Amino acid sequence: MTPPPGSLLTAENLRKAYGPTVALDGAEFSIHAGEVVAVMGPSGSGKSTLLHCLAGIVPPDSGSITYDGRELATMNDTQRSALRRSDFGFVFQFGQLVPELTCVENVALPLRLNGTSRRQAERTALTWMERLEVDVLKDKRPGEVSGGQGQRVAVARALVTGPRVVFADEPTGALDSLNGERVMELLTDAARSTNAAVVLVTHEARVAAYSDREIVVRDGRSRDMERAI
Amino acid sequence: MNVRQWCRDLGMGVRFAFTGGREGWVRMVLTAVGVGLGVALLLLTTALPNVLTVRHQREEARQDFTYSTKVPPRADNTVLVGESDTKWHSRDIRGRRLQPEGRRAPLPPGLDRFPAKGDMVVSPALKELLSSDGAKLLRQRLPYRITGTIGEPGLIGSQELAYYAGADDLVTEPGSTRVARLSAFGEAHPTTERADPVLILMMLVVFVVLLMPVAVFIAAAVRFGGERRDRRLAALRLVGSDSRMTRRIAAGEALAGALLGLVVGTGFFLLGRQAAGSVEVLGESFFPSYLDPSPALVALVAVAVPAAAVLVTLLAMRGVVVEPLGVVRTAKQARRRLWWRLLLPLAGLGMLYPMIGQGRSNGDFNQYLVIGGVMLLLVGVTALLPWVVEAVVARLGSGAVSWQLAIRRLQLTSGSAARMVNGIAVAVAGAIALQMLFAGVESQYTKETGRDPNRVQMEVDLSDGARLDVAAREFQHTKGVRASVAISSGGLGDKRRDPDHTAGITVGDCAALRELAHLPSCRDGDVFVVPDAHDEAAVKAFTPGRHGFIEPTYTEGDRGREIPWTIPAGLRHVTARKDALQTNVNGLLVTPSVLPARAAPTLYQQVYVRLDPAVPDAEEYVRTTAARVDPLANAWHWTSTEQSGKYASLRTGLLIGAICVLSLIGASLLVSQLEQLRERRKLLSSLVAFGTRRRTLGLSVLWQTAVPIALGLLLASAVGLALGTVLLKMAATPVAVDWASVVSMTGAGAAVVITVTLLSLPPLFRLMRPEGLRTE
Repeated sequence: MTPPPGSLLTAENLRKAYGPTVALDGAEFSIHAGEVVAVMGPSGSGKSTLLHCLAGIVPPDSGSITYDGRELATMNDTQRSALRRSDFGFVFQFGQLVPELTCVENVALPLRLNGTSRRQAERTALTWMERLEVDVLKDKRPGEVSGGQGQRVAVARALVTGPRVVFADEPTGALDSLNGERVMELLTDAARSTNAAVVLVTHEARVAAYSDREIVVRDGRSRDMERAI
Repeated sequence: MNVRQWCRDLGMGVRFAFTGGREGWVRMVLTAVGVGLGVALLLLTTALPNVLTVRHQREEARQDFTYSTKVPPRADNTVLVGESDTKWHSRDIRGRRLQPEGRRAPLPPGLDRFPAKGDMVVSPALKELLSSDGAKLLRQRLPYRITGTIGEPGLIGSQELAYYAGADDLVTEPGSTRVARLSAFGEAHPTTERADPVLILMMLVVFVVLLMPVAVFIAAAVRFGGERRDRRLAALRLVGSDSRMTRRIAAGEALAGALLGLVVGTGFFLLGRQAAGSVEVLGESFFPSYLDPSPALVALVAVAVPAAAVLVTLLAMRGVVVEPLGVVRTAKQARRRLWWRLLLPLAGLGMLYPMIGQGRSNGDFNQYLVIGGVMLLLVGVTALLPWVVEAVVARLGSGAVSWQLAIRRLQLTSGSAARMVNGIAVAVAGAIALQMLFAGVESQYTKETGRDPNRVQMEVDLSDGARLDVAAREFQHTKGVRASVAISSGGLGDKRRDPDHTAGITVGDCAALRELAHLPSCRDGDVFVVPDAHDEAAVKAFTPGRHGFIEPTYTEGDRGREIPWTIPAGLRHVTARKDALQTNVNGLLVTPSVLPARAAPTLYQQVYVRLDPAVPDAEEYVRTTAARVDPLANAWHWTSTEQSGKYASLRTGLLIGAICVLSLIGASLLVSQLEQLRERRKLLSSLVAFGTRRRTLGLSVLWQTAVPIALGLLLASAVGLALGTVLLKMAATPVAVDWASVVSMTGAGAAVVITVTLLSLPPLFRLMRPEGLRTE
């Protein structure tokens, strides 16, 4: 498959196996800046592995991933880590906030890892927390906030560096429907306002409805539903 | 609530412990190994009294010297025993030459028959040593044919070097120090020597100091896997278990771990017991049969360890609220209170206070007060440390990301951080106190010998009847010997029996006498006198022309040789050298030709040897020559100080124990560290996902350990110094801080932590792999 012109992040013919288990078997993917793409599929279909490969967390066994014209395979671990710090943001199912840091410190963490001073990082973090309506939680620890609040803090953390791509792996998987919808609204609105692309891994159609386009992964193969139509 | 319900809940906990799948088994194994190591150390401790008793009994059973100056007559049931100890590269070799004088001559323990002349029976360790490469000099020194092995009853330790050689040339005379005539081996009237109160005090403190960290370690080990267990308990709450039941179930799990730990610990102990027979630590070795724990103490361990496990779990669960949807531990905890934590060390000081100034001369120290006081002071460390860590980390500000991650974690879980370092802190506090005590009383158990090892490095004392002139010649030609000085000495009386005045008489050539006194000139035939300032009458009694008797007879002792001798003319007064080879030089110094020939064998004969430091094994060459010229010669190394054997043994014991305890605590720290990392696997992976550098996380782990350790060591130093001061005051010894030992003890503690951190880095980096993000 030839990637559509102007794609920010593309993957071609990705293969990845964990021992005898084949997670990806020729998967394809592309996303434009500002676009929200939902990666759907049943449990164990390989959607999380696709996300990890796209984000440069896990190297694929074969195939190519190009981000902004650069081939990820040519980058070493340090360069990929630097790319993740500067250009990518992450939201996981259970937030994965650092339990001992306060919420504002959690949000500021990616900036601090990039070398921003603590004061500046926390100031920027607070701005994002206000946008995600969790600024009142700034001095609380993750253990003291609800699941929905924690997930919004995680979204703020993903967006605080102004990433060009946000990877969200089942971001509402641990939330009730009301909280899940609020988190999705805030995430997609905030991403669109900054022209960030969102790779949204989910198995819920309700969540996928927030996307511009859907890709279905089954048995390690991907299928672009828009193109399929 | 009744006993039945308690048992049912505990039983359920025990079942959970064994049915947790792979994760559960890993946790159980970790707990069992942890508790097992502690139990093995406890069992070892319970066996120590028996070790000391058996060693003492064996030493007494083979005792072969008599305090009597009278030599019993030769009989059918007597044996002559010549002492021929030697050394091989600083290892002592116990040597005896045996000459049975009749059919019923007694055999020493461990022998079933006497070795014939030219044969010897050796200990297994000596047999192995003699057959090893590089023991050629030793084989020359012991040129006997090996015809048997000394049985276990004849040896103190499995690695002891010992031999019995057959002889037919032994003679014993009154006053002989190297040959004894015996009708039985062993102490005929064993007496229990009254132990020095300060040494008993030190022994008690050593026991408490070594056992306290083990107890702390066991308490930590039963909490291995605590976080995962708490999540399981939350699930139990969800299905209807109330909070009390939950605690009892948790206690049941801990009980299972402790019981398995008892089994594992017994296994470790039995394995270690077998292994103990083949190792030697700091010159000490044992037989497995020595390590026979007292049944009462074993029963105490068997009851105390599971009980402690249940108690610790119930106490730990007080700070945890297990709700059906999870464990509320991460919420801010109530601030720790200081007042009751201070009470513990203060109570400890209160118990020790009445014994201050008691010293060695006011009877034994009250054992209960000593043990109680020291325990409370050390428990005080474990009580104070969580408060100190909490108070200090609450005030620490933010720094780099790694520092922030570490400090925030410490702020959240200061209790578990303190728990991790409690063992080290207790061990270091106790060790500092003991080192202070040891250093303080060292001078009481160490004496100056008055010998200068820079002038002479070895002395060889020849036995009666040996030829000094021949020996001196042999040593002159021994490899590694720069010079040798031969001197013999004895006593001179003014009467044949019970003299009124006596003086020393020292015989040597002019070169030898010059090592003792400042001689204006000297040639063979000269006689000098070094006046004894304390006995002017004696100086007057031995003037030229006066008659005297070499080796006079004393009514209380055996008959002497009573060799008449007239003080020759030309006696010159000289002064002793300050750095003389012999201490307290006084009396007559005579050159050999002046004395009658038959006087020579009655004198004590010594050869002083200067070694060439450039020749390796020079000392061994000298010992080999000594054995050749006189098998009963005693060749020994000069030192400027000598230490009490019991004091030195206690210090050695402390060192061995401290090594075991620190290794144990290091292992515990490593397990806790790995467990925490495993719990945070997903978080670590997600931190890596958004680009966190490995160095940042590595440093964060280091700070997380280093900060509580630094605080723990600081507190341990303070408590250790306080305890050391009190103990020194109890021993009525001037208080002085041995800063070198404080630094070395805290350094050892810090080294354990650094090692643990370094060892936990590879697993940390493995856990940081992106695979940790996978859920399927």
